[in-house]
Amino acid sequence: MRSHALALAAWLATASAIFLDDAYHTDFHYALLGLPKHDATFFQKPYAASKASLLYTVSDNGTIGAVNPKDGALVWRSASGPSSKGHLRGGDEQDTVVGAVGDRITAWSASDGRIVWESRADGAIVEDLEILEQEDGITNSDAKDAVVLLADSSPRVKRLDGKTGRAKWTFTDSSGDTPFQVSTSPTTVYYISLHSPLLGGGAKLRVTFLNPVTGKKTDSYTLSSEGEISTKDNILFAGANTAAPLLAWTDKTNRVLKVNIIGTKGVSSFNAPANVATEKIVLHAPNRVNSLAHFLVEYQTATGHSAEVYHVDLKQSSVSKAYSLQHLEEKGTFATSTAGANVYFTRLTAAEVTVVASVSEGILGRWPVNGSPALAGAYPVHGVSEVVVKGDVASAARSAVLFSNGQWALIRNSEIAWSRPEFLSGTVSAVWAELPEEEALAQELAEESHQNVVGAYIHRVKRHIRDLEHLPSWLQSLPPRVLGNLVGMSQETTVEDIQHDSFGFHKLVIVVTDKGRLAALDVGSQGKVVWTIDLHQFASDATFQSPSLKAFRGYVEVKDVDLSGSLFINSTTGGLLSSQDVKTTLPITTKGETLVTYSLVDGELKGNLGAGPSFEAVWTFTPPPGERIISYTARPAKDPVASIGKVLGDRRVLYKYLNPNLVLVTAVADSARRASIYLLDSASGELLHSAAHYGVDVSRPIPSTLSENWFSYSLTIDSASATTARGYQLVVSELFESPLPDDRGPLGALSNSSTVQPTKGEAAKAYVLSQSYQIPEEVSHMTVTQTRQGITSRELLVTLPASHSIVGIPRQVIDPRRPIGRDPNANEQAEGLAKYAPMIIFDPKWHLNHKYELFGVKNVITSESGLESTSLVFAYGLDVFGTRVAPSFAFDILGKGFNKVQMLLTVAALFVGVLFVAPLVRRKQINSLWTT
Amino acid sequence: MSAQPPPPPQWVVDLNSPPPSKPKNSSIPDPPGYTASLTRKERAISSKQSSRKAPTSEEMDTLKMKKAWEVAIAPVKQLPMNAIGMYMTGNTLQIFSIFMVFSLFKTPVMAVLSLQKTFAMFETPGTSNRLIAVKLTYILTNMLMLALGIWKVNAMGLLPTTKSDWLAWEGERTWSERAVPREWL
Repeated sequence: MRSHALALAAWLATASAIFLDDAYHTDFHYALLGLPKHDATFFQKPYAASKASLLYTVSDNGTIGAVNPKDGALVWRSASGPSSKGHLRGGDEQDTVVGAVGDRITAWSASDGRIVWESRADGAIVEDLEILEQEDGITNSDAKDAVVLLADSSPRVKRLDGKTGRAKWTFTDSSGDTPFQVSTSPTTVYYISLHSPLLGGGAKLRVTFLNPVTGKKTDSYTLSSEGEISTKDNILFAGANTAAPLLAWTDKTNRVLKVNIIGTKGVSSFNAPANVATEKIVLHAPNRVNSLAHFLVEYQTATGHSAEVYHVDLKQSSVSKAYSLQHLEEKGTFATSTAGANVYFTRLTAAEVTVVASVSEGILGRWPVNGSPALAGAYPVHGVSEVVVKGDVASAARSAVLFSNGQWALIRNSEIAWSRPEFLSGTVSAVWAELPEEEALAQELAEESHQNVVGAYIHRVKRHIRDLEHLPSWLQSLPPRVLGNLVGMSQETTVEDIQHDSFGFHKLVIVVTDKGRLAALDVGSQGKVVWTIDLHQFASDATFQSPSLKAFRGYVEVKDVDLSGSLFINSTTGGLLSSQDVKTTLPITTKGETLVTYSLVDGELKGNLGAGPSFEAVWTFTPPPGERIISYTARPAKDPVASIGKVLGDRRVLYKYLNPNLVLVTAVADSARRASIYLLDSASGELLHSAAHYGVDVSRPIPSTLSENWFSYSLTIDSASATTARGYQLVVSELFESPLPDDRGPLGALSNSSTVQPTKGEAAKAYVLSQSYQIPEEVSHMTVTQTRQGITSRELLVTLPASHSIVGIPRQVIDPRRPIGRDPNANEQAEGLAKYAPMIIFDPKWHLNHKYELFGVKNVITSESGLESTSLVFAYGLDVFGTRVAPSFAFDILGKGFNKVQMLLTVAALFVGVLFVAPLVRRKQINSLWTT
Repeated sequence: MSAQPPPPPQWVVDLNSPPPSKPKNSSIPDPPGYTASLTRKERAISSKQSSRKAPTSEEMDTLKMKKAWEVAIAPVKQLPMNAIGMYMTGNTLQIFSIFMVFSLFKTPVMAVLSLQKTFAMFETPGTSNRLIAVKLTYILTNMLMLALGIWKVNAMGLLPTTKSDWLAWEGERTWSERAVPREWL
């Protein structure tokens, strides 16, 4: 019976999943795109008859996606591409958008993101992409063709069929020019390249005319721009798809603007406003064929911006200034929108949105912007807008604006309709913040435990008296808290809530992005961004490349290669702390322990005595010849173990080999296609265990993790090896002190042990049990859940990039003691061991992300919560995802289905019942005394 | 007053004056197995004849010892039934098996505690010496019951007899060295 109950419990545990009422409440997901690129972001109708339009963009990391402008929800997206260079164009009244990232040119169904066709450029990088809107002045009603420019040793211009993606013609440029861009007009395709003279110096702009039907070169001319242009970055604009495509560039000091109408040889020069130094010039022009040939030049200074509007006279091929918009002492930007032939410019600042027509400077609409806490202190960097103009008044305007703090927001008239924290897509490092208040209490408690009983008691009473000062505020906050609990209201969380969170679900995660932006997210309240700061304000001259974070009590330390020293940031406020404020302590070692540090130096793992790098190496691990170390994994610093042994079915004990100094080294031999795993004791450098796998695809990741007394890693088996099946393997090994139950190995019951100076001759080696499993998918990263005391069974969290998910594999499933080739006997059944099966199918219930699709997860970090049953999980990469897992179920908290109101009503009803019954009983007792 | 009551019915007359149980001088023998009711005189005579001589104190002691042995052996007689009961309840922790195990423990202990009271009625100057063996047997048999209880508790896994029961008191080894990756510092 007992064994059955245990087996049932084990089976229940393997079925742990997310409950329906927890999904979307305890977890959160930011489906991010990345920072949108200005020239490839646009509003467009997903199909010609559609009433609403979607917002399409390609981001700086090559993700193409569509966002619903109504609520900011992601409609579809493609996985992020290999290159940061992305292009996206959508033809007018088309049901596809054509995107190019790296060497892939893909047409996506605009409404749902399905691939219509795809074309590969064979190693060449797509430099530019345009849609042929008109052909010989006639609008093509069918699928519009795309013109792409491929950068290669010999640049090519290709026209791709809009339906199939096949090339209609190819023009190859063999002149050795650097390809820049293509531009189209109703009659001609222009190919613009940079012609660099042999003797160095500036580059000339060469414009080649191509026949859109045949792809034959019809004409070309060269513009003398040697004085200004040396690289592509000097060119401001090469307008596409307009009646008058423009080519504009400026000199290095941003003083002179030169504009050429493509197709003519004349160059017009304009001077930038002379009173303030212009930092950047941006040219905004409409990209519709039938719109007026007007454009706006924006001059950005260090603190403000101004603009001038120019008109192009097509007949005379001349450019003239129409009017100028006055300089504003605040940062802002402009966006272009069209309605029919009319062109409107929207001026976007953090405080105001104004709309002007291109023909005259009268303001058609003006909306003050209601601020939002997410956008506080930020200014618009670039945006796109849609304007509704009735008569001479702009009745509505909506603009999707990228703000300087990395938020992509939609401003609808005056209000911020939504904002997406796109800066989080660049997260490179994240840590769980530890709050200072917890530390204060922990310190007090530690103090009490070290005093004698009387002293500790007095200390405790004093502490409680001191705590009384919080009583009035606590009493005040009580009614709303109780009400909120009963009704289930969700309140706005603040840092204060995190400090008063008794379940420990509200933990802060501090993330840092590759661009040097630091943010704190509250995992317990849907990943709300509590604060965000730009690290450049503390280190203005540093350029961040791959900043790394480390958490201490109350603050985080930011390190980067370019940063001299490190920055200390307060975890709760985001403020800078000076290095005097922080206590530099080594939290890892306790008293009486010798510290050994190790690191990977020149392909060898070297261990040094002490923390300094100058010490001599006490041990060195060199992989065998032909192998190189690719990674190493240490046991987590915080890895509590509740039980030092494993109780067998017959109640004997297998003792776990618990060594805090274990390190798992992964090495590969490229030529032999072999992966080797070495388990070292990093104090002595002694090899405890090794395993070699042959026929391994060593180019694929080999993730590994180490926890408690077990480790696991995953491999991709190569298809080239004939003997073994291709696939993915998960290997799990467990370490015990001895193969015999009730035996503690050579060390016996000794409480002290040392691997450097072993007491009993040779240091005790672990007894290792391993099992490997076939898994259906490649694993890119793995980690283990963490709980407060380690009582709850652990779960192996594996990241599956192919199915965009994170799966929690219960520990029982990958127990290396599963009996092989036979059914488990009664004792093994009592332990919950099932018969070994070589294949692990990922149970859909194991997926932590349920309906979410997690793109580009680079790392998953776990943390304990206030409850023993629950571990907090946070994943980052492109997307940001957070959830809670309870591998042995939430045994210490009431579920959502628990009806608190009903319980209170029952108690009240019972109380009322007792009030009524009590006199009756009393009377009966008295009567019985009298009658006998 | 009313008229004279009617004469009583015949059955009342018969009931009040039963026929003589036995004709005095009848030669008809009584049927086998019938014992005629005795007259007072006969009764007196027969009682005089049947009153045996009172048992001697030795005989009383023997009798008491016999009774005492019966009491002492009684728990053993219950043992098989209890054992079957214990076997049938299984080794899971249920309210019934817990109650039964509790009674298995309580009964022998209470019996041993009330030892003197149980055997007080058999106590005579002549038996007191011989009763010691009986009492010892009684304790022994009760211990057998207790042993059954302990066996049951052990079968239920409640006795801390294996190493796993003391695992919580065993500590993790402390290591004289602590090695960490350099980047953790």
